[in-house]
Amino acid sequence: MLFLQLLINGLQTGAIYALTAAGFALIFGATRIFHFAHGTAFTLAGYAFLFAWRADWPGWAGVLVAVAAATLFGMAMERFVYRPIQRHEGSFFTVFVAAFGVGIVVQNLIGLFAGRGLATVDTPLSFGTEVLPEIFVAPILWIAIGTAAVLFAALTVFLTRSHAGVALRALAQNPDLIRTYGLSANGLSVLAFAIGSALAAPAAIITAMTSGLNEAIGHQVMLISIAATIVGGIGSLRGAALAGLMLGVAESLALQFVDTQWAEAVSFLVLFAFILFRPSGIFGVAAAR
Amino acid sequence: MSAARGSNEAPLRCEGLARSFGGLQAVAGVSLALPAGQVTALVGPNGAGKTTLFNLITGNLRADAGTAWVRGQPITGLKPWQVARLGVARSFQDLRLFTHMTVRDNVLAATERSAWFWQPGGTAGRKRRLAAAEAALEATGLASLADARAIDLAYAERKFLSLARILAAEAEIWLLDEPASGLDLASRMRFADLLRSATRRGVAICLIEHNLDVVAELSDRIAFLDQGRVIAEGDPQSILRDPALAAIYFGDRHEPASAAAETEA
Amino acid sequence: MIAYLSNLATQVAIFGILAATLNFILGYAGIFSIAHAVFFGLGAYAGAQIALLLVPDVVLACIVAAAIAGGLSLCLALPALRVRGEYFVAASLGLQMVAVTLFAELKPLTGGIGGLVGIPLPTLFGVPVGVLPVALAALALILLATALLARGSFGRTLTAIRDAESAAEALGKNVAAAKTLAVGFACAGAGVAGALYALHTSFVNVESFTMDYSVLMMAMVIIGGTGTLWGPLIGTVLLLSLPAALAFLPFLPATEVGAVQQIIIGLAMTLLMIFRPAGLVGDLSRGQTTA
Repeated sequence: MLFLQLLINGLQTGAIYALTAAGFALIFGATRIFHFAHGTAFTLAGYAFLFAWRADWPGWAGVLVAVAAATLFGMAMERFVYRPIQRHEGSFFTVFVAAFGVGIVVQNLIGLFAGRGLATVDTPLSFGTEVLPEIFVAPILWIAIGTAAVLFAALTVFLTRSHAGVALRALAQNPDLIRTYGLSANGLSVLAFAIGSALAAPAAIITAMTSGLNEAIGHQVMLISIAATIVGGIGSLRGAALAGLMLGVAESLALQFVDTQWAEAVSFLVLFAFILFRPSGIFGVAAAR
Repeated sequence: MSAARGSNEAPLRCEGLARSFGGLQAVAGVSLALPAGQVTALVGPNGAGKTTLFNLITGNLRADAGTAWVRGQPITGLKPWQVARLGVARSFQDLRLFTHMTVRDNVLAATERSAWFWQPGGTAGRKRRLAAAEAALEATGLASLADARAIDLAYAERKFLSLARILAAEAEIWLLDEPASGLDLASRMRFADLLRSATRRGVAICLIEHNLDVVAELSDRIAFLDQGRVIAEGDPQSILRDPALAAIYFGDRHEPASAAAETEA
Repeated sequence: MIAYLSNLATQVAIFGILAATLNFILGYAGIFSIAHAVFFGLGAYAGAQIALLLVPDVVLACIVAAAIAGGLSLCLALPALRVRGEYFVAASLGLQMVAVTLFAELKPLTGGIGGLVGIPLPTLFGVPVGVLPVALAALALILLATALLARGSFGRTLTAIRDAESAAEALGKNVAAAKTLAVGFACAGAGVAGALYALHTSFVNVESFTMDYSVLMMAMVIIGGTGTLWGPLIGTVLLLSLPAALAFLPFLPATEVGAVQQIIIGLAMTLLMIFRPAGLVGDLSRGQTTA
């Protein structure tokens, strides 16, 4: 039953996409900064884990390094790139170009020092065992789904119960509310970038263990994150995560009909369709204009 | 654009215009006529639906019900640029100047309607448009600032630039959203003169205004809007003296909390 | 040496056209396309096919390339009409990525991954002609056209739409038509550059039309300065001279020149945005009164 297998693969991919997209949506929602270097955070986390793995570090150390890499990168971008820009003109264009530039630099640095092309982490976790006739499931699937579920639950608790979390949500609805919460705008910005970037780390690690990394993976990650954020609706974290899951499943199921190189086109087609017909997305509150 | 045509019909008319957002009825059946050569003021408490009404007329919002006509031609369903080309000019509460262009270019842009690579009319047309732009700059007192960037202007100058664009567009129907708010007395008088000379040319003007002094100075008629309906219409003296209307205006009873209805979707 | 300079000059002319046309929609209309290389490619494939199947007449190739690239620019214009800024960038990003796949797969049209080879040398009404003079002429024409348009009413219309779209509409401007025209003009120009490129290198394949090239074009525009006439050209010269300049550095292994070049470009883009967003030539404080 190819369909079932594709569905299972799609759930795994979808979990990865959901985490990454949620990270981007959190940052964008809270700061309104189009963090085009989110894919770079993903790439850095993935390669950090890869290096740790190759250096024979224990798994948990690799995970820590990856999370640290992504989080620190996000915070550095906020502090050294976005904040200075927002101080003077801060138009969308300048922010985008700056982020893009950083992405190019990191992509090529990785290419120089880590080599180009596919890089994977071989673990028994990605070995599939036949659970049903012709249906293979690897432990990584449960890890992916489990990680996503746990992290989203934690995120929800944080966003609804903690002072900072509620402030972040309020920011997404109305940036002027910042002052009433007594937390500095800068502090919340850094927090949003830290959490949003950290969410990319588990996704990157799982990707390293499954389909593998390459130095240009940032572009694909960005396309998915942006597509999921738009399709899910700007301002809706839940929407971005759901849309990410949907895109993962759709991409996988598309393989039933087309070759792999077209699967990427599925995300683009969905994005295009939404932009043309429903720019506010599924759960969108704010209009796209 | 010529002065008011010799017809009995008001240049802009609407009937039964209605629009709701979610459960909220922002405009609930408004019928209004804007006569040529007169200033009609639209007053009412916040959230009464005034800006929404403008948006319905200009086509920025789709009406749930009702029709609007410009010189007898139905305009509901037309896009905003099509409505504008029929002679309706509209200003915004937040001005929406072309910030990165100079004052002169802002006004010139108002004279250029075609989206093609160039404007029709050749050199003669170009001269005419330049003349119209210069005239608008003169009338609003901005001629000396023509080369300044819109973003660098002082508050009052910006308000006049917004008006200069409307002047240059040579429209017969003006919908002005709080055009005089925040202006000092001298500027208000200049502003009033500009409106007066426009009405003498036959322009029909509709003014959303919160400052009742301005309303008293400028308007020939007042339409009082509340909760999406015109609840009173007439000459300024009787409307402004009506105690019941004053109570509504100054909020002696519970106001609907609908900032959303006043902003453009 | 002459051949080297002639080749460099032709490249400058071709990429100058690309930068100038991208600058037109980026600097004036505020349409942030990272898919410009797609239309470069469309023009290149169109020009190549004309040369291979009919006659390698450079003018014919350019016209057909402009028509095809300009016509297909609707793929870019349609999302540009619906959404702005960030969301449009996403659409153009996706378009660029899908186009590369399309270019690699549609063998009959594009020669697939191998590309189209053996494109005959260009002629002009039957007479053999060098690409350089034609390219320079095309560059001059396009620079003139963009200058005239930008300083005239169309430039004002586009800037008005960019600054305050609803106000522009309220003044009677057909926003959709203006955006579509701007995108069509820019993409048609990119198509012309593509046809010239095909005739110059006698070989086209998808590797020249990837995201990296869209980024390069964007960098040329940004580094030189958006919304200015000479900025894109200066950016083009600088960035195309970069590989040659890098070749002089003794400690740089040849295989890594490309990566180092990209790193420099990326750094330049980011640093410029932080410290001098107007680019090298652009001047944010100067208003441009045009009439």
